[in-house]
Amino acid sequence: MSPEFDAIRLEIYWNRLTSIAEEQARGLIRTSFSTIAGEMEDLSCGVFDAGGTLVAQGATGTQGVLTGLSMGVKEMLKKYPAEKLAAGDVMIGNDPYLFCGHKYDCCVATPVFLKDRMVAVVASVLHVPDIGGAAYTMTSESTFEEGLTIPILKLFKKGELNQDVVDVIDANVRIPQEVMGDILAMVTANDIGMQRLVEFMEEQSLSDLDGICAAILSTTERALREGFATLPAGTWRSEAFMDGVDDMLKISVALTVKGNDLTVDFTGTSPQTRRGGVNTPYTFTLAYTALSIKSALVPYIPNNDGFYKVFNMIVPPGCFLNAIPPAPIIHRQLVCRPIAAAIFSALAKAVPDKVIADGGTPTMQVFYGTDNKKAMFFQALISSGGTGARPNKDGYSATCFPANIGTPPVEIIENVSPLLVAKKEFVTDSGGPGKYRGGLAERFTIKVNADLPATVNSAIEGIKTPAQGLMGGMAGMAAEATLDGVAVPGKGKYVIPPKGEFAFSMGGGGGCFAPAERPPEAVLDDVINGYVSVESARQHYKVSVDPVKRAINWEETRRLRAA
Amino acid sequence: MYRAGNDIGGTFTDTVVINEETGEWTVGKVLTTPTDPSVGAMTGIGAVLEAKRVKWDTVSNVVHGTTLVANTLIERKGSKTALICTRGFRDVLEERTQKRYDLYDLLFEVPKPLVPRYLRKEITERLLADGSVLVPLNTAEARQIAEELKREGVESTAVCFLHCYRNADHEHLMKSVLEKACPGMFVTCSADVVPEIREYPRESTIVANAYTGPLFSIYLSKMDDQLAAKGVGGYLYLMLSSGGITTSGVAKLRPVYALESGPAAGAIAASFYGELKGFDSVLSYDMGGTTAKMCLIDKGQPSTTKEFEVARVHRLKAGSGLLIHLPVMDMIEIGTGGGSIAWIDKLGLLKVGPESAASEPGPACYDKGGTEPTVTDADLVLGYLSAGYFLGGKMPLNLPKARAAIEERVARPLKIGVPEAAWGMIEVVNENMINAIRVYASAKGKDFRAYTIVAFGGAGPVHAYNLAQKLGVEKVLVPLGAGVLSALGLLMAPFTFHLVRSYMSPLDRVDLGQVNQLLKDMEKEGTSLLQQAGVDPKDITLQRSCEMRYIGQRREIEVRIPSGVLSAADIPAIETAYNNEYKRLFFRTYPGYKLQCLNWRVVATGPRPKVTLKRFPSGRHTIKAALKGTRQIYFPEFKGYRDCPVYDRYKLFENARIEGPVAIEERESTVVIGPGGHAVTDEYLNLLITVGGK
Repeated sequence: MSPEFDAIRLEIYWNRLTSIAEEQARGLIRTSFSTIAGEMEDLSCGVFDAGGTLVAQGATGTQGVLTGLSMGVKEMLKKYPAEKLAAGDVMIGNDPYLFCGHKYDCCVATPVFLKDRMVAVVASVLHVPDIGGAAYTMTSESTFEEGLTIPILKLFKKGELNQDVVDVIDANVRIPQEVMGDILAMVTANDIGMQRLVEFMEEQSLSDLDGICAAILSTTERALREGFATLPAGTWRSEAFMDGVDDMLKISVALTVKGNDLTVDFTGTSPQTRRGGVNTPYTFTLAYTALSIKSALVPYIPNNDGFYKVFNMIVPPGCFLNAIPPAPIIHRQLVCRPIAAAIFSALAKAVPDKVIADGGTPTMQVFYGTDNKKAMFFQALISSGGTGARPNKDGYSATCFPANIGTPPVEIIENVSPLLVAKKEFVTDSGGPGKYRGGLAERFTIKVNADLPATVNSAIEGIKTPAQGLMGGMAGMAAEATLDGVAVPGKGKYVIPPKGEFAFSMGGGGGCFAPAERPPEAVLDDVINGYVSVESARQHYKVSVDPVKRAINWEETRRLRAA
Repeated sequence: MYRAGNDIGGTFTDTVVINEETGEWTVGKVLTTPTDPSVGAMTGIGAVLEAKRVKWDTVSNVVHGTTLVANTLIERKGSKTALICTRGFRDVLEERTQKRYDLYDLLFEVPKPLVPRYLRKEITERLLADGSVLVPLNTAEARQIAEELKREGVESTAVCFLHCYRNADHEHLMKSVLEKACPGMFVTCSADVVPEIREYPRESTIVANAYTGPLFSIYLSKMDDQLAAKGVGGYLYLMLSSGGITTSGVAKLRPVYALESGPAAGAIAASFYGELKGFDSVLSYDMGGTTAKMCLIDKGQPSTTKEFEVARVHRLKAGSGLLIHLPVMDMIEIGTGGGSIAWIDKLGLLKVGPESAASEPGPACYDKGGTEPTVTDADLVLGYLSAGYFLGGKMPLNLPKARAAIEERVARPLKIGVPEAAWGMIEVVNENMINAIRVYASAKGKDFRAYTIVAFGGAGPVHAYNLAQKLGVEKVLVPLGAGVLSALGLLMAPFTFHLVRSYMSPLDRVDLGQVNQLLKDMEKEGTSLLQQAGVDPKDITLQRSCEMRYIGQRREIEVRIPSGVLSAADIPAIETAYNNEYKRLFFRTYPGYKLQCLNWRVVATGPRPKVTLKRFPSGRHTIKAALKGTRQIYFPEFKGYRDCPVYDRYKLFENARIEGPVAIEERESTVVIGPGGHAVTDEYLNLLITVGGK
């Protein structure tokens, strides 16, 4: 802690900066134009010092965009250092390799001036509803097919909108009003953050954020290193698998703790995929590596750049966790789950009480077509699987992890598109059995209530690689996709005939510890509520339940558990 | 004749009885009786009446505020409740939004659904987004479900179908089947209580209504009977979260409307004082034992919002509670009150709250076994409170214990002195409030510096001056009797009914026939509810609004719309009103983007009851007569303690001027004014404080 910021001053300033970023994020949610931002909240906002170091971030958002934004702002300042920026300038960019890993995440940054001097940057990122190209394609062989790349540009110059940039975006996307509306919403959000930040600095007579930034970063770093020091010294290795597009992909990880240093080494991970975009850039791998470590060891520290500095990450270029441009990269979000799973299963060998089991993959399906009034529709639906069981409690059903994105209300979907949601319900027995049970998967059944067919670009992960259990817990149900009742591979483009039906599920969470250790009363409760079937209770949990009497057959249960 | 206001809080039940002719009022405090709160309520009212030698039958009506509904949810003491929903959707209640409220906490928890999955029954029926019927309700299934619920011993049932906000027929049909098959069961339909789009918030709300319904209606019936037996002729009225009042008859069917009745009453009282003093913009600041509540009030009208959470697992984390989607006074509540505990977090930073020492064991200075340093302990150490005059001297405070707690838990770990540690606690508390109020005010596009703070609650007057200084607010008003202001607010609230219907359409293609019909229906319903409550039709105000957004946006802005039959000529004005409001909030508009209407609202309001305050004659005295003595008080301007005068508030008179630094004591609270500031009393002994420069 630097001498000029005692514990009280630091607490007060830190809180204030975090609340400014949060205010910015609330403003962005209110003014955004798409379901993805407004209902699902796939966005993030941050306050940076003049050098581009992230000082504080709002609590809203997912780690992928949180980290991507932080890395991206530094790139923006490389192209436009302070001397090339003026009050009223606003920068924009979406290069997937520099920012958040896919082009939908557009970043907008506004330099903040105080008495003619640049003192800070406020920035926002948001997943725009379309970026052109073959939306969510599974066939792209390079990122050029994945839509429009916006290089780092000035969207506003001294307060004037750069119409050339707008025209290029408008000409490349399917729903320009929503896309530009979302981008301008970020400009508005940044204005809110800027206004508050200037007020704060004037009130506290601060001429820059350098001191507070250094104090926040060093406090974060110290706490993290103290967290690492609680780990026993040694190396833990693990692997996690995912379906990929054509071939299954493997993540290899080795965690090495030496004193209060931590190294995460992904050597041995599968090479980058040629087709379909299940690859991540360095920033995205860093994001979910940091999230996994932070969640397990120091969940209470607010996010800032202190995190990315304290551990060492080795990820060989050319593997699918550090793809080399122009490899396709659009489905990078499918990779966050196996990264967390690999790190947690390695950490489980050192600190089993601090990690959770693997869960279902949150993903996005995009439906598009023409409704009966001949209007085009384009609707993204996010759904999540069950989360993995925790070391002391069950996982949650249909809950997003490690990303954090909401599901859109059924009534909104049906008001803005000809899609009809036929069912949205938990699947019995989909949670991995364990002393603590994995969360249940949800099955989402979509019908097309129009005279014309609709198309879905589907990106379902985990059909071949269900969420694994931990420490004796069992795997959750695998993900699935069906078209009119017939199973289809989860990744691809499907045409849903009029009145036809597309159903999908993201899979259940893995269990923790052996299912036969689950108290029979908890199993009975699960059976009564339909989370677990009578058959599974008997087969996996070794509990005999009479569903009519809602009672445990104790004698038989003892016999089953003794065997 | 008299009117009585009675506010049941966690610890105390406050009563105010007011003489309708003279405006003179009397207050009383008794302990809350948690097992049967009506006992405390009746005792409390009775005690004040007795003290005034007033008979029960001269009481024309009673207005009641209660935390009963909130406590039923927090303590999970409601009825055995079922939910009937559209086939395929019984898990909406449990999956919530699918988002986690904390990005990193792997062990996070959300409240369990109020209805377990086996009591969430699906029925075959389906409406489309326009309200048309895709699949008719299967009545044979409905009867079968009713039989099952009866067998299960279900006491209360919520009915919530998809798109019912456009067509209530299926829900009503289901209700009639249940009422026939299960006499005595409490049945509540989402289309009647919260007819708004978005299934999860609606379902969460209607389930809470069902869960609390039976208990609340039994409780209110009991109050009705007891009051009638005492000879009280008028109705029992309930304060609603929105700041309006309604009859116990209506409240029995909609308990969730009364969830936040106590805090709402406080904001109403603050608006009253704002109007009395001619302040257009008031920031009400109510700081009690465990929380502080703040509300921005413009032109005597506290604004309402339509969503809040109750029973949060993490008090400060949005998303960790039960979602209630209903009009509620738009205020912020933060977990810092007099009992909030100071602690050092894992990063070595000083934090205060949200843990509270409550009344048991209480702050260390209560000397009832508490060892954690609280805000009240800091107030005592800094000289803001007097050890000998807490609650008018009824409860002596232990200064050495307060000092020891702060020394051990804050000063020593941070290697600073005790006064600096105590002052640090106050600074952190103020900063918590400032951060909360910034986010809150900016969402409303308001600049709080232009507001006058009205401070009340036990701890409000102690901290208001410093908070105002930090916020950049110039004036603070501390009403006389600030400690029981919420109960007084109960007597100042008008009858109000909030009605809403969802009809989603682009503004330029809106079916005006349909809009006029639904506005007319709502206005008719509001008027009839007010008339049932005894309001004269000529005193009824109807206010219409529509929540709109640019097409594609997911959050709406509420815009007033004209009265009377709407025609195409009104549309451009509505569009302009929206754009003006949007620009005020978000700096820009979107020319060429079309607008979409979502929810249509009508607020039907009766007249505001008249309350006059007792005047205190201007003094022949000088303020010397009110001087109790001096004591050492800490102010940051002095970086330490100074000997400061202490005044007795009850001995002040109209137009007395008091210079800071100073403490002014009354029974329920103490007003602290820093150096450079001063206060002037008005004819009601309210203190109007002017904040000094930094």
